[in-house]
Amino acid sequence: MSERGKELYNEIKDKLEELKNENSAYAQFNEIWKMACAIKYKSYDLRYLYEDTSREFVDEHRDHLIKMKEDFVENLDEYVDKCIKRMESTNHFRVYLVKTNQEAQRIFMEELGDNKVIYKSKSLEAKDAGIMDTLKKNNITIKETDLGDVFCQLLEYDYPSFTLGPGIQFTPEEIVAKIKEKYGVEVEPEAEAIVNYFRNTYRKELLKDVKVSLTSANAISAQDGSIVLVENEGNISIITRATEKHIVVAGIQRIVPSVFDALLCAKIQERIINVDGAYISFISSPSNTSDVQGHRVFGMYGAKEVVVILVDDWRMKAVKENLFYKDMLKCIGCKSCDLVCTASRAFGNIYASKYGIGAINIVRDYIHNGIEAAVADGLFLCTGCENCTNWCPTGVDVAEMIRQLKRIATKEGFCPPTLEQYKEKIFREKNPFN
Amino acid sequence: MKKIIFLGCLSSSRYKDTCENAIKIIKFLDNEYQVLENPPCCGALAHQIAPIEEIRDHVKLVNNWLKDNDVNKLITICAGCYNYLTRYYPKYLGTDFNVKVMHLLQLMNEPENLKKLNLKYPGKKLKIYYHDACHLRNAENPIIDEPRNIINSIEGNIFLGEMENTKINSLCCGAGGGVYSIFKENSDFSSKLIFDQMRMPKALLTACPFCYNSFIRIKEENNIKTPVIKFEDFILKLMEGVDPISV
Repeated sequence: MSERGKELYNEIKDKLEELKNENSAYAQFNEIWKMACAIKYKSYDLRYLYEDTSREFVDEHRDHLIKMKEDFVENLDEYVDKCIKRMESTNHFRVYLVKTNQEAQRIFMEELGDNKVIYKSKSLEAKDAGIMDTLKKNNITIKETDLGDVFCQLLEYDYPSFTLGPGIQFTPEEIVAKIKEKYGVEVEPEAEAIVNYFRNTYRKELLKDVKVSLTSANAISAQDGSIVLVENEGNISIITRATEKHIVVAGIQRIVPSVFDALLCAKIQERIINVDGAYISFISSPSNTSDVQGHRVFGMYGAKEVVVILVDDWRMKAVKENLFYKDMLKCIGCKSCDLVCTASRAFGNIYASKYGIGAINIVRDYIHNGIEAAVADGLFLCTGCENCTNWCPTGVDVAEMIRQLKRIATKEGFCPPTLEQYKEKIFREKNPFN
Repeated sequence: MKKIIFLGCLSSSRYKDTCENAIKIIKFLDNEYQVLENPPCCGALAHQIAPIEEIRDHVKLVNNWLKDNDVNKLITICAGCYNYLTRYYPKYLGTDFNVKVMHLLQLMNEPENLKKLNLKYPGKKLKIYYHDACHLRNAENPIIDEPRNIINSIEGNIFLGEMENTKINSLCCGAGGGVYSIFKENSDFSSKLIFDQMRMPKALLTACPFCYNSFIRIKEENNIKTPVIKFEDFILKLMEGVDPISV
């Protein structure tokens, strides 16, 4: 193990030590996360919200999803071309296909123009493209709209969190104390009261003040160029309608062949976390009307412009060069791998990268920041149980990607010595335990 | 052609009694099975970190050992060996791998073998739990129903309880992938949670030596009374008419 390897190893050990202190950020997150995912994991097989279980629903569609994603990855260029054509010619979107993250950042800043405030929801793809960091560097005010993200921002929480329920670790008491401190308003430390507070204040702001909004896409249909967004709060509905310009940032892997595939991806994401999405939006054009003698005018009550930034960066290269993380292009972001992960359940946001918790986000960190970053994210906490691969609805071999990372880390001298000794003894003495 | 018993590196190094018990059961069911001298480790642990070329070399070496010994059938008692031999050996060796691999649980569960075993439990009411090891339930050909069938075939006052997370949803013990040697914290948490999910258990059965390792440590550290018993030890005691949960 290299000197740097030892440092990284000790950093993880320190974090695990912190986990024992119940007031630490890691322990607070883990307290709720470990129970949430044990229950979710079990509830895949329970019939309490729907007629079928989530597992039956996924199983019914898994073969189709796997084939669909394989076809997509094989014909990536074609689908991207087709999608962009539909978006431009039929949907009147302004579309950029950008080769690199840097280009995505530059174009985003150009599109932002003189605006100094941006309202956003679902930002993983923008984070992946480095746009969030660019906004911060340029002193743009980023306004989160998903309540969980609003809490994270309010409480200045910068540890990794669960992207589908960020802020779930805060107690009502913590939240109301911060509201009191920041806005001088007394709110009862109860869920209803807190939600009402934001409904009465922030909702008005969202309806009135949004000029530019940013979202990602849960899926994009190449067939008709629709942007599909799932939400339960209504924040996405508001900020994508009550705005002048709606900017969509998405990696090209969000594209799926047909409009039905896009709906299916959205539904799978709902079912994996066993919630009702409340709203699914299919955005296929900026708002418009032809009511004045059939003359089509854009910018009626909803967004006047829809700008789509499709990011390539590592993606086409991964396919063309057959890189081991090519499977990332099949991921629909349903998070089933996090909910069934042994390391995630035990270590919460220690087994995580700056992009979020869990194995997929560790692979993401490797792609952008190299193997050291992945090791620092707790790569070697993975037990190799293969639950992730076993549960993935689209056939992503997460376990193999993580093993590949461990192999690269070992080559670079980052493998913990005990594990390496096992390997040496297996190859040399044919038995690691002799 | 030979039928062999492949005990696995962990069991043959640390759990010699269990190996002997497993051999007794297998030989009772099919006397043609034999144990060969100095078997190589399947290499599952190295699979996590070794370069693909080295993995291929090792897998070839094991396959050549099997070929040299003219093996066409293999019974393993280790969950790790089972998953690795059935999923990854065909992946790395293709058609060059011609050994039929079975886990002891599958052998015991064959109808004629269940009949032959004719398991009986004469004692007072016994509620036991079985923990599904990841590498058995996540294998290409998952082993989930077999142990339950075997337990349910036992004549007598014996009941199988199920944990909240069970079968395909069961919890990993937290000790796999070599993690146990570096971060015991995962097994601290995961194995404890498994114990917590049992209600009034008289015993916890496991068919994986790695899970056993982890359970035993957690049991001792937390002063848990429930005995942890390896599946083959439990079955052999029933066959010999000994109290199966006596230590």
